[in-house]
Amino acid sequence: MTSKLIRNTVLLAIAGALSACATGPGGGSIYVPADSGETTAPEPPRVGQGSDEPRVVRKSEQPTTERRSPSYQDEGDVLPAAASSLIGKAEKLLASGDAQAAVSQLERAQRIAPRSAEVYFRLSEAYLALGQLGTAEQFTLKGLSLAGNDTSSQRSGWLLMAEIRKARGNVAGADQARERAASL
Amino acid sequence: MRCRIGHPILYNPGMKKSTSPKKTPRKRSGTGSSKPWFWRLLIRVSLIGLVLLAGWTVYLDAVVTSRFEGRRFEVPSRVFARPLELYNGASVSAGSLQRELELSGYRAGTSGSAGTYRRSGGRFEIHTRGFRFTDGEEPRRRLSLSIFGDRVQEFAVLEGPSSPIVRLEPAQIGGIYPAHKEDRVLVQLEEVPQLFRNTLMAVEDRQFYDHFGVAPLSIARAMLANIRAGGIVQGGSTLTQQLVKNFFLTRDQTLLRKGNEALMSLLLELHYEKDDILETYINEVYVGQAGTRAIHGFGLASQFYFGESIDDLNSQQIAMLVGLVKGPSYYNPRRHPDRARSRRNLVLGVMADSGLITEQEASRAQGQPLGISAKASYSENRYPAYIDLVRRHLSRDYRQEDLQSEGLRIFTTLNPAIQYAAEFSVSDTLKSMDGRSEGKLESAMVVTSRDSGEVLALVGGRDPQFAGFNRAVDAKRPIGSLVKPFIYLTALQNPDKYTLVTPVEDKAFSLVFDDGRRWEPKNYDEEERGEVPLHRALSRSYNLPAVRVGLNVGIEAVKTTLQNFGVTGGISDYPSMLLGSVSMTPVTVAQIYQGLATSGFNTPLRTIRQVTDAGGEALSRYSLKVDQVADSASVHLVQYAMQEAMQEGTGRSVYRTVPDALTLAGKTGTTDDGRDSWFAGFSGDLLAVSWVGRDDNGPTSLSGATGALPVWARFMSRVPQHGFSPVVPDGVAYHWVNSEQAALTDEGCENARFMPFIVGSEPDIEASCGGSIERRVRGWFEGLFE
Repeated sequence: MTSKLIRNTVLLAIAGALSACATGPGGGSIYVPADSGETTAPEPPRVGQGSDEPRVVRKSEQPTTERRSPSYQDEGDVLPAAASSLIGKAEKLLASGDAQAAVSQLERAQRIAPRSAEVYFRLSEAYLALGQLGTAEQFTLKGLSLAGNDTSSQRSGWLLMAEIRKARGNVAGADQARERAASL
Repeated sequence: MRCRIGHPILYNPGMKKSTSPKKTPRKRSGTGSSKPWFWRLLIRVSLIGLVLLAGWTVYLDAVVTSRFEGRRFEVPSRVFARPLELYNGASVSAGSLQRELELSGYRAGTSGSAGTYRRSGGRFEIHTRGFRFTDGEEPRRRLSLSIFGDRVQEFAVLEGPSSPIVRLEPAQIGGIYPAHKEDRVLVQLEEVPQLFRNTLMAVEDRQFYDHFGVAPLSIARAMLANIRAGGIVQGGSTLTQQLVKNFFLTRDQTLLRKGNEALMSLLLELHYEKDDILETYINEVYVGQAGTRAIHGFGLASQFYFGESIDDLNSQQIAMLVGLVKGPSYYNPRRHPDRARSRRNLVLGVMADSGLITEQEASRAQGQPLGISAKASYSENRYPAYIDLVRRHLSRDYRQEDLQSEGLRIFTTLNPAIQYAAEFSVSDTLKSMDGRSEGKLESAMVVTSRDSGEVLALVGGRDPQFAGFNRAVDAKRPIGSLVKPFIYLTALQNPDKYTLVTPVEDKAFSLVFDDGRRWEPKNYDEEERGEVPLHRALSRSYNLPAVRVGLNVGIEAVKTTLQNFGVTGGISDYPSMLLGSVSMTPVTVAQIYQGLATSGFNTPLRTIRQVTDAGGEALSRYSLKVDQVADSASVHLVQYAMQEAMQEGTGRSVYRTVPDALTLAGKTGTTDDGRDSWFAGFSGDLLAVSWVGRDDNGPTSLSGATGALPVWARFMSRVPQHGFSPVVPDGVAYHWVNSEQAALTDEGCENARFMPFIVGSEPDIEASCGGSIERRVRGWFEGLFE
């Protein structure tokens, strides 16, 4: 029993270390290199990691099994720098009126950070500019599904949704979305 | 049909049309006579001959002009892999980066020019060639990076415009060729370096810009040489004649043909500018062979032999290509490097003699290695199954003849590293299964990017190089238990009636149809457990509860869910569909699992990002689209049970192969007598579906867990990736529960599980810790009388 507890704790530590070096501050999904075998040695903790513990929850509620319980996280992944730079590029393109080119850059960003709510909100904005409102709404929904308990992200999502619904002529829906944003 | 030695043989199927009529005059011109007492007749015959010649000339003129005027090279379409994006944190192993570079024809450890790389351990220095993407150019750069833990680190641009993220040029992975299999990349004369043009003329036709199609002096010189040698050893042909020969004529060396060639050359020169003729020559010339594919034109030759575009060639590369004209097969630098090298050095000598380069430059270049890219930048049809799917997707928007002739550029989503891992996993795992079943086992695999629906890899059979039956796309097989997540999803969308801890009956029953037939489903292990919580019924893939729940929510409702998730074909109305008697291809399974793998968003599977014309202008884009087909909350609950399946249920053997840290979710599928073994599942980044079975649909000893899962697990273990860890959607809360008793409980309790519930549907009874029967019974009674 004790050895299993220790094992679980070690697993947790590994998970923490891995995720910390995987996505940097802010945590997020755990990155697992290939062929690392079943007995991954724990990596030494990195300096400056402490402030932002990964949010991934892995609780070992099943002492009778060695396996962890199903995983989840409370927020989407944090944007890596490369994705942010592409989003920056897209912003400029969108500002200059080239929404289609912005979409191309955002799709690159999406491939790098597919679990970040922000990428989808930006895609939504670009499609809003292109007048493709149905597509825009779907991307907002997708973004919201990844916002988790990050209220500022949720708020941007619902405000965006209000804008899209207004553009679609759905006044009641827009009001609802705005109220939702205000309640956060 | 192609001459191997001698002058360039330009083969074009169009010439058949223009050559057939010339047989007619051949007969007529054979009427000459030399008998002196028929002078008058001779004059008449000569006159007739002249008239015929004039007529023939007019005819040839029409042939030349119409053919040349309407000259339109049929340029095959090129198919590219996705470009590799390099940045700090990019997921790539050192091995797959090296393979990727080799696939793009990068050379290792050499001069430091574009298209080379150096690797020492995990450190790479890469000189990119640059590429013009439709959304902007990636200029040439010198990059430095190291790979640690299968991630890019210390990424830096050493030369060229700085950027935190750089795309390598995409590797070409295939082509869509015209029937005659000619391959070429069209170039315009301005793109061809002056040195190249001058060298070509110095070697093949010194007087090109001065003669009028034929060069009598050269012909005389050649004839002399031929007489001396007693056969044709030297051609005095001008570039124009060479072009005519290949454009309009057959390759037989008859005098008559020579006459036609000369006449047509004169006519061609009469009508067209020298530059036009030269440009056509440069695009037409035959310079090599790759399997059945004929390499034409110097544009493609530079890529084919050096991985460079023509405007980037240096003097020794130019010399080699020009030297190749004399005999592409004889001087093939890959097969006969010594011949190629001496031929190249000869040309370099000519270049120096003609003053095109200095003597020093020539002798420096003569000392250089050939520098041929390691292998053909791609071997033809390396990914037959994938290209097959690409072609099917293309056929929605493009006509076959345009694909074969318009030189389109097709940018696909293929990820070579993932394809490599998938191919290896399929063929290697299948090998280890041989002998365990009667009949030959086959397999198929589809890998997509979980959140974008991009098809990253496709394996159509256990021999991935074999371009035969594409099982990933064409093998429609019953999906077995892969249907169960959709049954439970349909149920869980009704939180008043179903939660993950709802007890479901695991008891045998029989259905009697109107026609008197009976249906008595059984569990795979043929046991019954009375009552089990829903999450366990799914993670252990029990049949009886699935059918009961399916019948309760209604077959129609389950059908609707499947259709929402992307099933387009017919679905049976019989209850047996609840055990997967509905047939799908692996690609369709990947499509419907996309919605389960994401938070209920259907993402159409794509193999193509973009199609551009030959000049790089976008013709069509296939953008990312998402479409919510189920509420994120109920999907999240199903994902919980699918993760449980990997940790405790039917998929748990995955962790014999896969590192513990990689969280996964998935579902096994098995049909009667092991005829089909399926596994569909996902990580944070990837969704993969594997199938194992027999082409003759015969029985095997395999189940989903012993056939398809080992393939899947092998694949997952070989790809660096993020674990699956879904974001908790709005309206879902986690609680500690005793799932057996469908009751809330304390975190510290032995049987406590931390499980997600749609808010409001969590149990409203509590079970205390300890788990003694009395307590449980009391708890149950409390619940009963509440």
